[in-house]
Amino acid sequence: MFPTALIRSSTVNAAEIAHFSRLSALWWDEHGEFSFLHKMNPVRMQFIREKLLEVAYDEQPENAVDPTKAGILHGLDVLDVGCGGGLLSESLTRLGARTTGIDASESNIAIARHHASLDPRLSQSLSYKHTPAESLLAEPKRYDVVCSMEVLEHVDNPALFLSTCAELLKPSGHLFLSTISRTPLAYLLTIFLAEKVLGKVADGTHTYSKYIKPSELIEFFTKYRSPSQDSRPWITRLYGGVPTRTEAEVRGLIFNPLQMGWMLAPKGAWGATECNYIFWTRKPALENVLNSMAQR
Amino acid sequence: MLSSKSSRFAINSCRNSSRRVLTRKYFSTTHEECDVVIVGGGPAGLALASALGSKHSLRESLKVALVEAGDLSKVQNWVPADGTYSNRVVSLTNASQAFLNDIGSWSHIEMDRTAPIEEMQVWDGISDARIEFSAAEMSLSNPGQGMARLTEVLNLQRALLRHLELMPHVEVIDKTKVMGISPESVDGGWPLVQLENGRVLRSRLLVGADGLNSPVRSFAKIPTYGWAYDTHAIVATMFHSAKNPYHGPNTTAFQRFLPTGPIAFLPLSSTASSLVWSTKPDLAAALKNVEPSVLARMINAAFRLPEVSMRYLHDRIREAHQAGTPITDAEIKSEIQWREQSHSIGSNSAYSSAPFDMSEELLGIPPDGSELLPSLVTSIQPGTVASFPLRYNHTETYIGEGEGSRTVLVGDAAHTIHPLAGQGLNLGLGDVECLARVIQSAVLRGGDIGSYTSLLPYSRERYLENHKIMSACDKLHKLYSMSFGPVVSARSVGLEVLNEFDSIKAAFMMTAGSSPRVQRENGSLGGDLRSTAFNVAAKGVEGLTATAGVVQAMRGGLAGLAVNGLHSLLTAISSSQVKK
Repeated sequence: MFPTALIRSSTVNAAEIAHFSRLSALWWDEHGEFSFLHKMNPVRMQFIREKLLEVAYDEQPENAVDPTKAGILHGLDVLDVGCGGGLLSESLTRLGARTTGIDASESNIAIARHHASLDPRLSQSLSYKHTPAESLLAEPKRYDVVCSMEVLEHVDNPALFLSTCAELLKPSGHLFLSTISRTPLAYLLTIFLAEKVLGKVADGTHTYSKYIKPSELIEFFTKYRSPSQDSRPWITRLYGGVPTRTEAEVRGLIFNPLQMGWMLAPKGAWGATECNYIFWTRKPALENVLNSMAQR
Repeated sequence: MLSSKSSRFAINSCRNSSRRVLTRKYFSTTHEECDVVIVGGGPAGLALASALGSKHSLRESLKVALVEAGDLSKVQNWVPADGTYSNRVVSLTNASQAFLNDIGSWSHIEMDRTAPIEEMQVWDGISDARIEFSAAEMSLSNPGQGMARLTEVLNLQRALLRHLELMPHVEVIDKTKVMGISPESVDGGWPLVQLENGRVLRSRLLVGADGLNSPVRSFAKIPTYGWAYDTHAIVATMFHSAKNPYHGPNTTAFQRFLPTGPIAFLPLSSTASSLVWSTKPDLAAALKNVEPSVLARMINAAFRLPEVSMRYLHDRIREAHQAGTPITDAEIKSEIQWREQSHSIGSNSAYSSAPFDMSEELLGIPPDGSELLPSLVTSIQPGTVASFPLRYNHTETYIGEGEGSRTVLVGDAAHTIHPLAGQGLNLGLGDVECLARVIQSAVLRGGDIGSYTSLLPYSRERYLENHKIMSACDKLHKLYSMSFGPVVSARSVGLEVLNEFDSIKAAFMMTAGSSPRVQRENGSLGGDLRSTAFNVAAKGVEGLTATAGVVQAMRGGLAGLAVNGLHSLLTAISSSQVKK
């Protein structure tokens, strides 16, 4: 565990970490406790892949990345905050990223390291660190992509957590988050059914009051300005509460109980973000900083 | 391939040596890291290697190796003598052809050694109720290509090997046995494949394309369920005179369902066709033992004589074989002549085998109805008569778990079926097409292709699909093995009902893969085709249900039962189409 001082200044919740440390050995049992996450992982990766390809195409249609190429993250520094057993970190690395996975649970990191050591394709560019995200701010390294999947609903002080993730990005960097919305449906599915009735997820994994709505995330980034950049907010315009696709995007992740699998809901699908959802936004580029400074 | 006994021994010895290696150093240099290791160089294994190797996006993400005990250079350098054909043939459905074309292997097929099947004639040996399939009436996008294409398995294998030769990044290791497979002795370890030459391949994904007695399947401890049919299949290459110009080219496949099993005549060229004759094991043994001309006469008779005479001829051959004095050509000739006379089959009838003993110049305009029957077989290609037992087998799952995780089965390692619909190899190619697609999709999402999660879509798509076609073939075999009167009359009604419903035929043929499979590059289905197939099938089944009701009223309980059997079979077939 971390020194007490560190815990106090971080968004890590000690009880949550104790909970996940108890379950850490089960991370790679694809039929067990984390089977839902194993099934969700390809869908999260699909969103990351499609969004990055879309942005690359928007910016440079003439030499955009070949969409059939596997290594679309090649040469990028990627941070996975709250990596758990490394499900997402490993996938990011396979797409070519230089990945750093961090987690506040030491036993999670041990499991993640062991599992990655089995795969010769990961050893070169995947590293794990037992640290809270906040302590990375002290280091000079910043990232092209920061992901934090199914973590936001477990942290204390989500606003501080979000600004930490935001600060760890390079200008023009991508932030991907996935979490659960605070709706009656989400309570019914993720807590009442999954934990209490079916027991598919360990009781006490989720706390309803910690869930965050997509509109709250969007609102946060319409106000949030990177302190180091003093630029525009990350989201400048909303149309009926919806950001433009070049600034942010929210997509529902829907579990189909018949297929026992997840799917990525189409853009703007009605009611799709009432439960699990994935969120993307992007740090403003440096040019914008220069522009806004020039205007003053 | 390994026999199960030797493989068990080998697995033990390998486990010991691998433990030694592992204790020395965890990531030992004696292991070669592979992403996909395919065991088995048959058509399914070779097709998977070609499919993975041909996908540009997978090249840098996957190191693929294929291991085969036999000498593949013999297959690759196979040069058949002019006009002769190997006895192992396959009827490639349009879906299979489209897949082979997509991966770029089809262009390596020697097209002169393939023959399109444009029509099928299938009839019941007892009631003579007949069903006709024709490519022309099946609303195919390109009727000219037929409903399937017949070729030698060697032609297919050679094409795949020639294609693989252009892919240096796929390693083909032949003349090398797999000595054993063992799991790494760490938690979540990968399978280690130990080869005869001392190499050890550490495999992210181990593919069992290693046939009925799959060593990969025994390593993964995947249980398999099935039974041996009391039936052997005789295969041979048959020669016959070219079809008369009145009848056009030799592009019709014929199949007659005798109570002993179906006999099929599959066109290879204008003067050669392939035999697949499923029959009782003792009859198969006897028929394999007779002079080639006797076999030729028996084949002609099996397509022509009434069932009661076939039973008699079978008995004669069986007795002679048991007495150790195989029946002679003269004996069988007179037996058949006598039978034809007693059935009043004149020498001018299409059902007469008299032209067998006449020179070709004497033959004039073919008699009426001869288009319903295959050409008279004149001789058998020497050395092509062989037989093998038939089995129904389906594993409980296609994906290994626990100690056997990171394994997946394709083709005969996962399932074997009765050859009556010619679907065995096509199901295997369907597996391969799906597995390659699933692997590609996992790679593009950064997935670990050996993980259960990555492989699950494969087994989800293929298991039920295969099971439906397999049980349909199994039920057909059983339905037609009966000579019990009420069942026969019911099934003749069933077949004639079938003949009326082009829609059902279309649904049947689509399931059998006659229309090219819809492109599913992005996981999306061709909505149009899917809904059309649904309507076609639904209409057909509706029609049959009504007819079945009438038949039930006419014939009472038992007959109704048989029709209901056929009905449920058709429902299974059409709903499997709906699923697509």
